[in-house]
Amino acid sequence: MSDDKNEKKIHGIVAEYTSVDTLLAACRRVRDAGYTKTDAYTPFAVHGIDKALGIKPTVLPWLALAGGLTGTCTALTMQIWMNGLNYPYIISGKPFVLSLPAFIPVAFELTILFASFCTFFGMWALNGLPRFSNPIFTDPRFDRVTDDRFFLYIDSKDKSFDAKGVEKLLGETGTEYINSVVDDDSPTTIPKFLIVGLCVLIGLSIIPALIVAKMRVTTSSQPRFHIFPDMDFSPARDAQQTTTLFADNRAMRPDVPGTVARGQMDADLNFLTGIDMDKFAQVDSDRAEQLVRTYLTPLAAEGEEPTAGAAASNEKSVMETTPWLEQNPLEISDAVVRQGQQQFNIYCSVCHGMDGRGNGLVNQRAQKIMAATWVPPSSLHQDVLYADQYPDGKLFNTISNGIRKMPGYAGQIKAKDRWAIVTYVRALQKSQNASMDLVPASEKSKVEKQKNQVDKALAEAAEAERKKEEERAAKAAAQK
Amino acid sequence: MSLAIPNGLDNTVERPGERAPLVLGDTTYHDITETVCRVAETKPSKGWVIGFLIAFALLQWLGICIAYLFYTGVGVWGNRSPIFWGWPIVNFVFWVGIGHAGTLISAILFLFRQEWRTSINRAAEAMTIFAVACAGTFPGIHVGRAWLAFWLAPYPSLNLWMWPQFRSPLLWDVFAVSTYGTVSLLFWYMGMVPDLATFRDRSKNKYRRMAYGILSLGWTGSSRHWIRYEKAYALLAAFAAPLVLSVHTIVSFDFAVSQVPGWHTTIFPPYFVAGAIFSGFAMVLTLMVPARSMLGLEKLITIRHLDNMCKIILATGSIVGLAYGTEFFIAWYGQVPDEQYAFINRAFGPYWWAYWTMITCNVISPQLFWVKKFRTTPWIIVLITIFVNIGMWFERFVIVVTSLSRDYLPSAWAYFSPTWVDWSMLIGSFGLFFTLFLLFCKLMPVINMAETKSTLAKQYHMAHNEPTTPTEH
Repeated sequence: MSDDKNEKKIHGIVAEYTSVDTLLAACRRVRDAGYTKTDAYTPFAVHGIDKALGIKPTVLPWLALAGGLTGTCTALTMQIWMNGLNYPYIISGKPFVLSLPAFIPVAFELTILFASFCTFFGMWALNGLPRFSNPIFTDPRFDRVTDDRFFLYIDSKDKSFDAKGVEKLLGETGTEYINSVVDDDSPTTIPKFLIVGLCVLIGLSIIPALIVAKMRVTTSSQPRFHIFPDMDFSPARDAQQTTTLFADNRAMRPDVPGTVARGQMDADLNFLTGIDMDKFAQVDSDRAEQLVRTYLTPLAAEGEEPTAGAAASNEKSVMETTPWLEQNPLEISDAVVRQGQQQFNIYCSVCHGMDGRGNGLVNQRAQKIMAATWVPPSSLHQDVLYADQYPDGKLFNTISNGIRKMPGYAGQIKAKDRWAIVTYVRALQKSQNASMDLVPASEKSKVEKQKNQVDKALAEAAEAERKKEEERAAKAAAQK
Repeated sequence: MSLAIPNGLDNTVERPGERAPLVLGDTTYHDITETVCRVAETKPSKGWVIGFLIAFALLQWLGICIAYLFYTGVGVWGNRSPIFWGWPIVNFVFWVGIGHAGTLISAILFLFRQEWRTSINRAAEAMTIFAVACAGTFPGIHVGRAWLAFWLAPYPSLNLWMWPQFRSPLLWDVFAVSTYGTVSLLFWYMGMVPDLATFRDRSKNKYRRMAYGILSLGWTGSSRHWIRYEKAYALLAAFAAPLVLSVHTIVSFDFAVSQVPGWHTTIFPPYFVAGAIFSGFAMVLTLMVPARSMLGLEKLITIRHLDNMCKIILATGSIVGLAYGTEFFIAWYGQVPDEQYAFINRAFGPYWWAYWTMITCNVISPQLFWVKKFRTTPWIIVLITIFVNIGMWFERFVIVVTSLSRDYLPSAWAYFSPTWVDWSMLIGSFGLFFTLFLLFCKLMPVINMAETKSTLAKQYHMAHNEPTTPTEH
């Protein structure tokens, strides 16, 4: 050993061995000699060395247990709070707070994760690592500890440490190499380039975060810089742009012949109001203008037709002064009648009855419970409602805007369907006054047969009813 | 075909009353150090450089495809109604499955004190990490707006004002796969620290010494450290063992908790786990057999190691075959017409080719391992394990695609065709995997030197009474 070495502080003495067995024997010997601040250095974990050196068991398993339990609690608290309390959200009828089966997978994963972190970092912390500078690295032969050599070290802090004695003791344990471990004289400062490099790296890594932070709080008249297009750009063309897709280079396409624009049909005011608007303008220009304004203002929502114009003022005078359309503007056909029947059965029959006699289910029910506010629906077969007294346009207007207790149906039934209902009502009215002459000859006998059957059935029913009534009366009398 | 046994030693022969040696030849501690360190210390071979360039090119191609996907949208994939879970999810399940063998070898075989694992566990764990990286890519880019994938994390977002839904198996997946990746990484790195210290102590170059010095955290090999280290290793193994079973179980929940016929089955968790181990071991062998001869590790990774892994493949392959049979049995026994149709359609419907590829590769090919000659002949092992990998990819394809393409409503039936982007991403993911694996081979200790030395020490210890003592060099 050189003089130079003597100036340095001696941390301990190390001895080298070539096999596990000599090392273990040496360890036992050193332990029995009463040294406690000892350590063995080996290229791999040597089993039994804890006993040979007298090393106590580690607390690591307890750390792992604590970590695992923390993980379970964290996961359950997190899930219950997030999905049960802070943002309750029902999924497949599972309970909000204690959806335990659904919460198990994440709880399990976090248990393992936290326990693993505690084990991993706990182990390094207990070992005092990372520690890059260690006096024992100064030993010239110590590099082989990670290859194939075994070292035994006795620290100078040990109570019974005495350099000569230790060297003598180690000399008897089958070693060929004994050396004192001295201070590490390698430079202790971190190389400058590492520090500079690290600073530059940290500085650069802050920049993107700063840019994002700035962008979040500033407004700009410029379009956003798109890293990801996020479906913000559509390949669709604007109205006046050109395209090579079509021969005429127009991106805006002309209507296909026969196209009906949305709302185009609604522009026919006669059709919409059931009033001959030209005549109406001559008779009562004020109200006509009001109607036109209401219907043709874009603000008037589709189907929302005014009651103001036709129905608001005195009914009698309106009846007289309004030039109602006498003719249904629809071209009457089987299809229109059927359409009208369908719509009538859906919307009207509940009150007016399937046959239009005013005894629909709603009316029956109202009679039964004797609703005080109930105004019975009109029978459509009263004389005043026939075409000669009640023009088609007026009937249309009644369906659209309502009358007395009946609400307007303009919001529910399209104008065309309302006209179809008018057609059907006329057909219903006709059906009540049909004579046998109207029935085709081939059908006559069949219809007569049916008529007789119906008459007979009606008569029988009336008779049965009368008898029942009599019996009831007799019973009541008898009870008295 | 002769058995390629180095030094003419055959450790596949069973000698009653004797343990087969795990390390062959007159190997000493120092020989192990030399063999393993040489791989990282010598200049890369031509084969390595060519392999790396190919893998790296494929990785670049994957990157370009991902950029194209981000810019254009997920429409570049073949995923169409009703097969919204197409190719990317197939790749995800495939890669997660590959990862399992690594943890299984390092954790479960460790807990069962299977010492033959020591020379293969490092590479297998590395494979796990890289496979999980490949797997994580796919659900990451499958969420549509991938740059918002962090919304899956439960963090107090001021933009959303809401939390992720913990009752969804897709969120369980996020936790399962990320926990699995993290714990595997810790386990892998921790296992490497003593070997990195060996690298540090052997390095002549200043920068190399500094880099490995930082990575090895100042490891000295102190016994007090070793004791805590071993305890930590055992604990991590104990945590990783149930974790590895849970990961694929949770992946299988993605399917099993849905109502799709062919998915809604309770057999999925065990069946997926068995399949994962099966495919993982196949991948380990596919990698290790060439690596062992190219890196000159025949003495450490012996034929017996390969033989043992082949036996595991045989066992898990049979489990997988049984699971296929059970699925059919339950479909018939359960008397649900849609379920029955789903399985008949798998075998004889428009995807019959995928189904029978799967059966051939997964059920029939591993049965060849009953023959000892096949288990001990490296090139046959590689051939069969490549078949197993292909078969396991097809298994995931069959499960995902056939089930979705034939749902309850015939009006919603469709046929899946992958696009060139789908193909590129599958191939590109292999680029990512092999790039990382080749870098690992070159920069890290491919074999756990410390543990292999400790098994060798045991061998010496047991051979005490015999004339042969460890040779000093």
